[in-house]
Amino acid sequence: MKNKQPALLMLALRGLTRNRRRSLVTFLAIMLGYAGISLFAGYTHNIYRGLELQAIHGELLGHLTVQKPGMSREGKLDPERYMLNGDEIERIRAIASENQHVRLVAPRMTISGLLSNGRVSTIFVAEGIQPEAARQLRQGLAVVPALAASRNVAGGGVETLDADNRDTVAIANGLAGLMKLDVGDTGAVLVNTLGGQANASDIVVGGIFNTGNASTNDLAAFMPLELVRYLYDAEGRADRLSLLLDDTGSTAVARADLEKRFADAGLALEIQSWDELSSVYRQVREMFNMIFGFIFLIVLTVVAMSVINSMGMAVVERTREIGTLRAIGLRQRGVTRLFTSEAGLLLVIGCGVGFAVTMAVRAIVNAAGISYVPPNQVAAVPLLIDMDERMIVAAVVLAVVGLLAALIPARRAAHQPIINALGHV
Amino acid sequence: MTAATLPLSPVHADQKNAYLLGVEGLSPVEPLVQLTNIHRRFDLGKTQVTALNGVSMDVAPGEFLAVWGPSGSGKSTLMNVLGLIDLPDKGRILFDGTKTLRLEDDELTDFRAQRIGVVFQGFNLVPVLSAVENVMLPLQLRGAPHEEAQDAARKLLREVGLAKFESSRPDQLSGGQRQRVAIARALVVEPQLVIADEPTANLDSENSRMVVDLMREMNRVHSVTFVFTTHDARLLDQVDRKILLRDGEIEKDEVMA
Repeated sequence: MKNKQPALLMLALRGLTRNRRRSLVTFLAIMLGYAGISLFAGYTHNIYRGLELQAIHGELLGHLTVQKPGMSREGKLDPERYMLNGDEIERIRAIASENQHVRLVAPRMTISGLLSNGRVSTIFVAEGIQPEAARQLRQGLAVVPALAASRNVAGGGVETLDADNRDTVAIANGLAGLMKLDVGDTGAVLVNTLGGQANASDIVVGGIFNTGNASTNDLAAFMPLELVRYLYDAEGRADRLSLLLDDTGSTAVARADLEKRFADAGLALEIQSWDELSSVYRQVREMFNMIFGFIFLIVLTVVAMSVINSMGMAVVERTREIGTLRAIGLRQRGVTRLFTSEAGLLLVIGCGVGFAVTMAVRAIVNAAGISYVPPNQVAAVPLLIDMDERMIVAAVVLAVVGLLAALIPARRAAHQPIINALGHV
Repeated sequence: MTAATLPLSPVHADQKNAYLLGVEGLSPVEPLVQLTNIHRRFDLGKTQVTALNGVSMDVAPGEFLAVWGPSGSGKSTLMNVLGLIDLPDKGRILFDGTKTLRLEDDELTDFRAQRIGVVFQGFNLVPVLSAVENVMLPLQLRGAPHEEAQDAARKLLREVGLAKFESSRPDQLSGGQRQRVAIARALVVEPQLVIADEPTANLDSENSRMVVDLMREMNRVHSVTFVFTTHDARLLDQVDRKILLRDGEIEKDEVMA
């Protein structure tokens, strides 16, 4: 089959120069629409990545959490029932370590009670974790220095936990402010043991940190796991295990593998991933996905209407020419191809330039050092724009929708009778 | 000038004259196009207009034929039917032995692309293409390589006297020059038939004469059949044959001696 496409492409390219203003307007609609949606995709990608880092490494969730079924729903009501004992912890650790992606298995225990400075007291919720495990969980933040500062919610606190000094704890700065406690000050915590007895311990404020979230910043604390076990009177036990993986992308694979391994070993356990546990991540992601979809829909509509208008006008203006081309041997399909090629060129050039504009704006914004405080946050986060695969998806979807939009006038042009087209005034 | 004085090649001239004049002792060639009982009507609002009413005619290979008559006589419709651009409501078209009304649209388009050149009253050149690109276009639409199409187009532009204007766009050419480009475009595919609907209607008398002379020369040099329409009787002195059309019917079919 002989190739007629070069001639049609040449005609299409020249066709774009006939009414330059109209072609420019359509090009700008495509280019600006694509650049806008790409920049927003890159921005939201950065938000997602920041929240991911915050959840996994900043809040020390790890990638996977292993616990007894029902723990997340009813654990606070009946903690003893859902506690893992020392044997179970070791079995889980041994099985989990067989998975190639697992880098760390850290026993955890959440405790709540009253924190007193000797004059007043208030409630606190503390995470008990082994200091060395906490340090390993936080190492992931170092991978992205630009985000680390804003997403290091436990920064300044967790690293002060000391396995040799069981009473040294880190408290959130809201809580510290409320209790007028500073680093080095002492206080006391009062809790109920698993058996319902009151238990207390002196503590020393080793560090103060910012949770980054206003709703948790006045009650959060980190404590060595050994202190929490002592307070709960739960020696060797944990309410869950946090697993750190080699890569976030391995989460689903590792989870599936571990679920099978635990089931095979007869262990009734449930596994939750970091994004299931981080409600902030889920809610923010859902919100931004909704906004992204809405904006993308608007951009698609604008682009489709621009292309239909541009090609529709071109078809009307060039009706006689279409008749001439048909008369001298261009098939109906060729006419369709001609006008879709024109639209295709506009879309390719528009998206191409739009991508270049995206990269330029991205470089400027990322270098500008802009930061802002998001809603319900207490720390500023940098405004950064990432590369995102949705930039490619957006270009492909725009191109497909644009071509489909061009098909409407193109097919109308192709199917009109030749003599009608030739007689068009 | 009459048909008898045309410098045709001996075989070509003899065959055509045998066909046209019915000379005994010579075997006439088959007609290139046979129209039989062609009817074509158009709806104009609530009324129907009969453009062709039972037209039957043959066109011989190599013929230089004019269809003339007053406005509204059906000349353009006859050209469109001959050029397979329009289909009749009724009748039969045999083009070089092919029953063209049985062809699907794509087949008809390819048939046209290979065998028929078209010259329009309004030139109908693509305004964003240069003269040589306009002439190349029919070949490129058939999938010819760029160089091959360019060589053929340049050769024809030389023949029609526009070698110096090959890079000029249509809006940089005079009416006569544009029509010469259009003739070159019609000839570039080496068609069997060129139809030209009122090719001189938008030209002054000098350019009209020049265009008809050029078509006649191309008819002679390339042995291509030309059928053109005109309402100007002064341009009929070079034709082999002229058909007077009136109210959609052939009133007179004259072979020029």
